[in-house]
Amino acid sequence: MTRRTLTAAERGDRRFAVLAASPAVLTIGALFLYPLGYAVLLSLYRLNDKMPGATAFIGLENYVQLATDANFHQALGRTFVFCLVTVFGGVALAVGIAALLQNPFRGRNLARVLLLVPWAVPPVVNGIMWKLIFDGSYGAVNAVLEGLGLLDAPIQWLADPQLTMGVLMLSEVWKLTPFLALMTIASMQAIPSNIYRAASIDGAGGWDRFWKVTLPNLRGTLMFLLIVQSMWSIKVFDTIYVLTGGSGGPAEATTTINFLAYLTTFSYLDRGYGAALSITIMAIVIAVTGFWILVLGRRKEKAS
Amino acid sequence: MTALASPGPETPRPETTAPRDAGTVPRGRRGRRGRPRLASTIVHRAIVALLILYLTVPFGWLVVYSIYPSSNLRSTRMDFSLGDITLGEYASLLSDSSFVVPIRNSLFVATATTIICMILGSLCAYVFARFRFRGQQTLLLSMMAVQAIPAVVLAVPLFVLLRAFGLYDSLLGMILTYTAFILPLVIWMMVSFFESIPVNLEKAARVDGCTRLGIVRRVVLPLSGPGFAATSIFAFITAWSDFFLAKVLTSNTTPLLSVRTASFQGLFAMDYTAAATAGVITALPVLVLALLAQKWIVQGITEGAVKG
Repeated sequence: MTRRTLTAAERGDRRFAVLAASPAVLTIGALFLYPLGYAVLLSLYRLNDKMPGATAFIGLENYVQLATDANFHQALGRTFVFCLVTVFGGVALAVGIAALLQNPFRGRNLARVLLLVPWAVPPVVNGIMWKLIFDGSYGAVNAVLEGLGLLDAPIQWLADPQLTMGVLMLSEVWKLTPFLALMTIASMQAIPSNIYRAASIDGAGGWDRFWKVTLPNLRGTLMFLLIVQSMWSIKVFDTIYVLTGGSGGPAEATTTINFLAYLTTFSYLDRGYGAALSITIMAIVIAVTGFWILVLGRRKEKAS
Repeated sequence: MTALASPGPETPRPETTAPRDAGTVPRGRRGRRGRPRLASTIVHRAIVALLILYLTVPFGWLVVYSIYPSSNLRSTRMDFSLGDITLGEYASLLSDSSFVVPIRNSLFVATATTIICMILGSLCAYVFARFRFRGQQTLLLSMMAVQAIPAVVLAVPLFVLLRAFGLYDSLLGMILTYTAFILPLVIWMMVSFFESIPVNLEKAARVDGCTRLGIVRRVVLPLSGPGFAATSIFAFITAWSDFFLAKVLTSNTTPLLSVRTASFQGLFAMDYTAAATAGVITALPVLVLALLAQKWIVQGITEGAVKG
């Protein structure tokens, strides 16, 4: 090869790179950057479709109002509780399931394949499913409890604020955890077996191996799981909508911040305030992600 | 993955040291300890059995709700007589155009979105995997960072944007929207698959006179088969399952299946059998897809999705 053809090839390469990458980059950019800018701008306006005459630029007033908005504070508290349970419960369960399926045994593959079932069920169907299972008159849960003689009168699960929140948490964990477990299994397989061999020779039992070898080696994966699950939990919407008939009830018990943003924007038609609320949610997502990176992050390591 | 951790506890405890059978892999093999620990094996299998029930029973119940008349399913006296099983609700839903049209729409939108995402995403991911340029990490990371933006932030602006182009409430508008939302995911997954392909193969192909595009088509894509399949299924399932964007960006003229299915449940009244049947019909295509392609998905996750 002569020098000239090389530079020609390089030039061709560069052209290829730009042409190949740009459609995707531009699509993502156009459908995210413009709307994001628009949303930021919108959050600086008083714009309520129910008060068409009152539109005005008000600067940061929407955000100031958020800081003292009792509805928002309550939603924030609910979101926090919801995230606490689903993130820690979900990730712990995922690691537990992965540890259960780590070593080969007959039936392991079946269990692994079935982990895909909850993942593949669309969120709307997930909502309908749990709504039916916990239904007061036709619910499977009440039927089982009555069959066991634990129940005198049927429990109205979805009419009680606390219980509804519990059902919501259960439905989220059921749907999302198995997939996290699959990812955890994958990372566990990447742990070199020499370490386990060494640990065994040093006399470590199963528990020791799990705590002293598996978990430390899963640090990066754990960070990833916590980030992903936190994002999912903060952004939960579909299941709430279906489970509560689009209300976020009973008594607003399941109105998390994301659902409140939806209600504000699309039910109360308070677009400016809804945008401010949405931007705040985005800031929270970023803050939580940053928090996990600070707690568990290391210098970046490329996965093989 | 991560760097190797220091092995094991630092103080060896000789009294529990297992006999060293050369050649066995001691990853928790119970037989290594001389006697099989029957009790713990039984407990382990029992927990696995519970796990399998936990994963499958809820959806199984939904199927039950869809094939029995609701009068059989009162909590106080469930009646599972086989003679009462009926597929009537399936027949009536699948002959009802207000339900069939959304199925067709969703199928079209999810398929088109998947094809576009895989073409654009693969090309873009290849560039990120094989080329080095200024600002590469930043660009890749910022494309991932859009995942952090809640859809509710973008809903109103997208609505305005689509309406400006006459794409509000159209299948094309939904395809565009989903493409933007799913592309980052596709790129992220495909980059890691492409990075695992040896560069030498590509060099050989170049010597044989392949263009870059030819390399992607003839060398890279065939080698990333499982990853490609897994990513396509991801894209399809995500587009098929989305509810929020479909709810906000379409109305009744171009209904999508998830919105139609969600409409079966009201705040107070709910036709249980119809809702359950619609739910099963909505879930079944993606469920079957996921289970048929489970080998690729598991392989795909194992190969590529594990990024620390």
